[in-house]
Amino acid sequence: MFFNAKDVQQFQSQKEYIDTAIVPLLSINLSEAGIVQSSSSTEFLMSLTSFIEQQFKGRLMLMPPFSYTEGTRGGLSVSLLKEELQKVGFKHVLFITCDHFWTSLGDEIDVIWLPSIPLESMDREVKKKVLEDQLKLVIPILSSKWTQV
Amino acid sequence: MSNNRVSRRQFLNYTLTGVGGFMAAGMLMPMIRFAIDPALQTKAAGDFVQTSQKIADITEEPIKVDFTFEQVDAWYKSDVTEAAWVYKSGDTIVALSPVCKHLGCTVNWAGDSAHPDQFFCACHGGRYEKTGKNVPGTPPTGPLDEYEVSEKDGFLLLGKKMPNTLV
Repeated sequence: MFFNAKDVQQFQSQKEYIDTAIVPLLSINLSEAGIVQSSSSTEFLMSLTSFIEQQFKGRLMLMPPFSYTEGTRGGLSVSLLKEELQKVGFKHVLFITCDHFWTSLGDEIDVIWLPSIPLESMDREVKKKVLEDQLKLVIPILSSKWTQV
Repeated sequence: MSNNRVSRRQFLNYTLTGVGGFMAAGMLMPMIRFAIDPALQTKAAGDFVQTSQKIADITEEPIKVDFTFEQVDAWYKSDVTEAAWVYKSGDTIVALSPVCKHLGCTVNWAGDSAHPDQFFCACHGGRYEKTGKNVPGTPPTGPLDEYEVSEKDGFLLLGKKMPNTLV
C-alpha cells in the first residue's frame, strides 16, 4: 500500500492483514560536496521502497519518506513515530535508510540499513537486477518479522 | 499501309478517351485513397506490449516475463514494469498476472516449498493452482487475472489484462 487515499481506505477496511509499516528515513545533504550523492541515494531508496511495496502490497504500507538534513535530524523522534504507527495497528514498524546514523538506534527501532547504489548511471535492465538483488536482502528481514508472531 | 485505315475522327476519339481516362483516374485515385485511408492504416500493434521472451523458450514450467510500458499520469510520464507468469499449456500459451487477488501482492510460482505446483503469495499465504484458480481456504477470493497473448517474429506480446478464462 502506498500512503494515498485509495490505498489508505483499503487499509482501514483490511487492518488485520496490513500489519507492517515501512518508513524510509531520507537524509538530505545540501552542501556543494554532498548534494549529488544525497540525491542519488534518495533515488535509490525511493526506487527500492516502491519495489518492496509492489512485492508486498497487501501486507505493508509504505509511508512517505521522513526527510531531514544534518541540522534537523535531531528533531526527528523515530521512537515516538514508531509508537504512533503501532497505535494505529501496525504490528511491525520497519525503518529503511541509507544513512548510517540510524543503525546506532538499533535497539530502539528496527532499522534496515542499505548502502546506497548509484542507479542513475545504469540502464533499465541493470537497474532492475540491482533492485531485485537488494530486495532479496530485505525479504529475509521481513519474513523473520512476520514469523515472529 | 493496311486497308483498315484509321480516320481522323476515330484517331481523335481514341486519343481523347485515353487522355480523358487518365485525367479522370488521376483525379479519382487520391479521392478513393483518402476515403478508404482509415481502413489501410496499420494498427499500432493494438495494445500489445513487446517482451523479450522468445516463444520457443516457453515450457510447461511457468516463468516470469517482465515487460515495460509508458504510463502517463497527468503530466508525469513513467516507465512501468510489470510481470506475467507465462507457460505453455498444450499448444496455447498462458500468461497470468502475478497480482494476488487478495490485496495485490506479487505471487511466485513454487514460492512455498510445501506446494511446488502452485503460485504462492508470501504476504498472507494465498495459493493458486497452475491455471490461476485460487485454492479454497486461502485468503484470495478469485482466480489470477490473465493477459491476452500474441506473437510477433517469434517473440511474445502481452495485451490487456482480462478475467481468468481457464477456470
